Amino acid sequence: MTAEDKPRIGVYICHCGENIAGAVDVEEVRKFAEKLPDVVVARDYLFMCSDPGQEIIKEDIRKGLVNRVVVAACTPRTHEPIFRKACEDAGLNKYYFEMANIRDQCSWAHWHEKEKATEKAKLLVAAAVAKARLLEPLEDRYVELNKDVMVLGGGIAGIFAALDLANAGFKVYLVEKSPSIGGNMAKLDKTFPTNDCSACILTPLMVEVANHPNVELITYAEVESVDGTVGNFKVKVRKKQTYVDWDKCTGCGACLNVCPPKARVPDEYNEGLSTRGAIYIAFPQAVPKKAVIDPDACIRCGGRWFGEEPRKTKDGKPILAPCEKVCPTGACSRDEPRDPNGELIELNVGSIIVATGYRVMDKKHFKEYAPDSPNVITALQMERLISATGPTEGKLIVPSDIPKYLEWKKKIEKGKEAELEARKPHVITFVSCVGSRDERYHTYCSKVCCMYMLKQAMLLKEKYPDLEIYISFIDVRTPGKDFDEYYMRCRKLGIKIIKGKIGGVQRLPDERLLVKGYDAELGRPVELISDIVVLATAMEPNMDLKELARKLGISVGAEGFLKERHTKLYPVDTMTEGIFICGCAQGPKDIPDSVAQAKAAAASAMSLLAPGKMKVEPLISEVDQEKCIGCGICENLCPYGAITLVEVNGSRKSKINETLCKGCGVCAAACPSKAITLHGFTYEQVLAQIRTIAAKKVVEV
Amino acid sequence: MVSETETVNENEERKLKFGLFLGCNITFNRPDVEQAMRKIFPALGVELDDLAGQSCCPTWGTMPSIDDVGWCAVAARNLCLGEEKGIDLMTACNTCYASLNEARHKMLKNPEIMNSVNEILAKIGRKYEGKAKCRHVTWVLYKDIGLEKLRESIKYTLDGLTIAVQPGCHFLWPSEVYPDREKDPFNPVVLRELCEALGAEAPYYTKLIDCCGIGALRSTDPGKSFALAKDKLECIKEELDADLIVAGCCSCMIQFDDVQDKLRKEGKINFSIPVLHYVQLLAICMGFDPQQVAGICVTPRDEIIKRILEGGKR
Amino acid sequence: MELAEEGVPPVINLTELAEKEKEEFEEKVSELIIEFGAENLMACMQCGACASICPLARTGFEWYNKKLIKAILVGMREELLDDMTPWACVACNRCTEICPRNVTPFEVMLAMRRLMVEDFALPTLTIEGLRSLYEHGHAVYMTGREARKKVGLPEKPPTTDSDEKALQELKTILKNTKLAELGLIPME
Repeated sequence: MTAEDKPRIGVYICHCGENIAGAVDVEEVRKFAEKLPDVVVARDYLFMCSDPGQEIIKEDIRKGLVNRVVVAACTPRTHEPIFRKACEDAGLNKYYFEMANIRDQCSWAHWHEKEKATEKAKLLVAAAVAKARLLEPLEDRYVELNKDVMVLGGGIAGIFAALDLANAGFKVYLVEKSPSIGGNMAKLDKTFPTNDCSACILTPLMVEVANHPNVELITYAEVESVDGTVGNFKVKVRKKQTYVDWDKCTGCGACLNVCPPKARVPDEYNEGLSTRGAIYIAFPQAVPKKAVIDPDACIRCGGRWFGEEPRKTKDGKPILAPCEKVCPTGACSRDEPRDPNGELIELNVGSIIVATGYRVMDKKHFKEYAPDSPNVITALQMERLISATGPTEGKLIVPSDIPKYLEWKKKIEKGKEAELEARKPHVITFVSCVGSRDERYHTYCSKVCCMYMLKQAMLLKEKYPDLEIYISFIDVRTPGKDFDEYYMRCRKLGIKIIKGKIGGVQRLPDERLLVKGYDAELGRPVELISDIVVLATAMEPNMDLKELARKLGISVGAEGFLKERHTKLYPVDTMTEGIFICGCAQGPKDIPDSVAQAKAAAASAMSLLAPGKMKVEPLISEVDQEKCIGCGICENLCPYGAITLVEVNGSRKSKINETLCKGCGVCAAACPSKAITLHGFTYEQVLAQIRTIAAKKVVEV
Repeated sequence: MVSETETVNENEERKLKFGLFLGCNITFNRPDVEQAMRKIFPALGVELDDLAGQSCCPTWGTMPSIDDVGWCAVAARNLCLGEEKGIDLMTACNTCYASLNEARHKMLKNPEIMNSVNEILAKIGRKYEGKAKCRHVTWVLYKDIGLEKLRESIKYTLDGLTIAVQPGCHFLWPSEVYPDREKDPFNPVVLRELCEALGAEAPYYTKLIDCCGIGALRSTDPGKSFALAKDKLECIKEELDADLIVAGCCSCMIQFDDVQDKLRKEGKINFSIPVLHYVQLLAICMGFDPQQVAGICVTPRDEIIKRILEGGKR
Repeated sequence: MELAEEGVPPVINLTELAEKEKEEFEEKVSELIIEFGAENLMACMQCGACASICPLARTGFEWYNKKLIKAILVGMREELLDDMTPWACVACNRCTEICPRNVTPFEVMLAMRRLMVEDFALPTLTIEGLRSLYEHGHAVYMTGREARKKVGLPEKPPTTDSDEKALQELKTILKNTKLAELGLIPME
């Protein structure tokens, strides 16, 4: 080692404002660091990551004072790239840099033990110095990227992510598990805070995304498995069996009316307030507007299933199912057998955006609110009840009388004269925080309920001024642009606010409801009789979100929503590079926030893929084939399938695929002959760190 | 440890046997309820043990108001009397049901309490292992004996009668602590089905789960207690025009029986609905002497009993 | 507080209460209540669900569950010790069943009673009940036995009332509990 190469370490200690300095005596650590072997200078600064802070480091490098850099500050997760870049800018190989985390792992954890925190900080710095003495220069490498993107979920978030990418020239596969895109937003009547009609703003976007030349729409399909890594994901997608030939189906709807009453099941689109047939189109504005058969509901009219010979009438004519018979294009033909498992396709993409949305909690969990009563409904059911596309075409009646309405409608459609006897509500009560902020269900706030309760109340009150409307809130949460003004508009309309959680709803004999509440403003229990009780049930993760996250190799938080890489700085990234998240799959949020996140996720995917290649850190494993004994332990252990055993001069040797290796180090740790080196974390470097901490002084390895 | 739903005497081959836990109110105020149980259970093939030396459960205003360990120690001694014989306890009083089971729940959940209790019990040569629990007569009749057997065992039916049921708070909440639980603790059906098995109508009414107002509330402020009871009685009158109120709890029964008389005297109500505990009603239907099984009341029962005996012979 | 005229509700001086808690007492009321069994006291968000169905709140008592919890949190020690609301609680536990924060408001009521007991702030009837429990093994006890006779039962029930050994057992237990430490009733 020449004198030029001999390590000259600079140690830079950050106060992180009060975050570190509040618990660690920075000056003491600095003095300590100064005396460590090979350390030529130790400095401290209020914010080392700030421009002037970085300049201190750069200046020392430029002057030739230091050729190794140790920064003792916060987490390398967010700040290592920043300091590496500073080293590089000043002309030093950026892998001559080491970081000691004396904030998250020291000052924050030992906030009330200043002395011990300072001692621990010293050790962490000493360990980093010990490693810095052994650092080696490394060079970045590049991998080719596939520029296609898969967007999972065709709700408002998925649609926007797909559109932004497609408009920028990227090929997008938009995968949706339902027969139609549109998501939960398609069920909403109007949207806050401007009260514009949900369908009016959503359906044009649905059409646009479906017709976009760069978008391939794959509905009624789900992800089966995901392999590969950033830039080169291989995704297997299962297209579910539709039992209707979509190439022939024109969405005319002729089949819908002939499906027999016995095959009718609760309609998902109307949240169970009405029924649909076994053959159905998701909703009138569905995109694509295609019918599917629900095999669990289908009663197999004519005793015939797909691919079976039809029975014959006495005069030898085949007996066809009504849907089959009425279909003008032959899309419902049962002549050919159909695989109940559908079709498995494989797609290669460079990046994946997860926008699979949420579901609302069912009312059945909340026994204290008389969920057996048809007049206790969820807020999403209320959306359907007031929507022009809902079970009553937007006519406001008590839900217990919906069957009466449907009878009446049937008569009218047949041209008969009939009087609608359905009861109109006079009093409607909204119950907040049902399943949210509740340790029995979800401790989080669902964020949108306050606003949608206000919205529904406002729409109702404006349309029917005689309605008495009560909204119970624990707190009124309206922190958004124009949101509190919206709340005040409701108050001025005469909507009555109860500040307290409803504790019980009891059914009255006439299907009205006795509501028991508490009003903190009055400081007394309150009671009222209501025709409809609307439960603002929590938004919760979709049932299969955990499973999807597992397939994608991303994580979910304790509450079950997808976990972002960093709440503030990387809100749409995940711990798996190349996979982004947006919308309510990440957590409850309203439409403006979902759209903003979707656009952020699209932009993140674009900035990743646009260059066509990606810089990859050289912190990966390498095999010394001289030492390798070909035992194969590493091959079995590698979680990324990056290791294969190859024939070299007649003996088996381990080989690492640099593109697939993520630098996890499992192979290096397990190798019995120490033939594998994980660059940046070599055996010697890690051992030097450990021994330094154990011996409480810098140890030579 | 025995799981919550398992019963000590689950073996169907074995004869059902329970320790008859009396509590204070039944023993001294309403022994007709005790007599009703002593009549019906043997007739239904259930053996009763006297649990000789049993005491107060203890009720809320006593040890539970001092501390957990003292509460649990008194409860555990009562539970021991059953556990030592390999049987569960059975009660017709919701307070006993709740106090004993809440204490058991605390002991099972918190080993520290269990250990402290057993240190105290050691001084009298006993040990509670958490096995024996207290069952509610309502549940024993519903689950262990079954509606079918009840239908077969009665001599008189209640056809044409409308009953307002009063399961009582401690039959329902906190559901976590009880060995048997309604599917929906806010819409209880067990007592209703038991009444219907005897031929009566026992419809839902709006205030079915509301509190009767007895206990500490009544001893602290009788006026407020009566107001609460009045609220519920009026609902029973208006919504059901019930012929009879049937409680699963001895205390609720006492409250509605007493309060009606007082409210009538004060001119606050003008109706009189007889009140029975379910075991009393069953005993009457099974043909036992009404004087013995339902002979103590303030609100008159004669007419309804007469109607049952005359009207409903099967 | 001195400023309040008669009939005018006084302002609650939070500063004064907080200072008192710090200076005059070893432990805050809230800490004592937690020790006495209301482990989840601090999780209360004052949603009011418990109060909406509480028989005490519905019949006009002052310090029902929700307000009691709040008063404990701000340290209204003296006012609470003077108020008998906790002793009126019917223990119905409907609040426990619906509390979204698992605060078990009934346990707070019970803990408040336990705190009051230490201060001898308990109703005469309660002392009477405890004495009766100790002396007869029954909190509710009657000497008259007409009712038992009338329905054809032996005058003596098979309880501690007819079983001296059992009564002694119970007394031994009670003597080894906090009841004995408190000295609320004579325990020979």
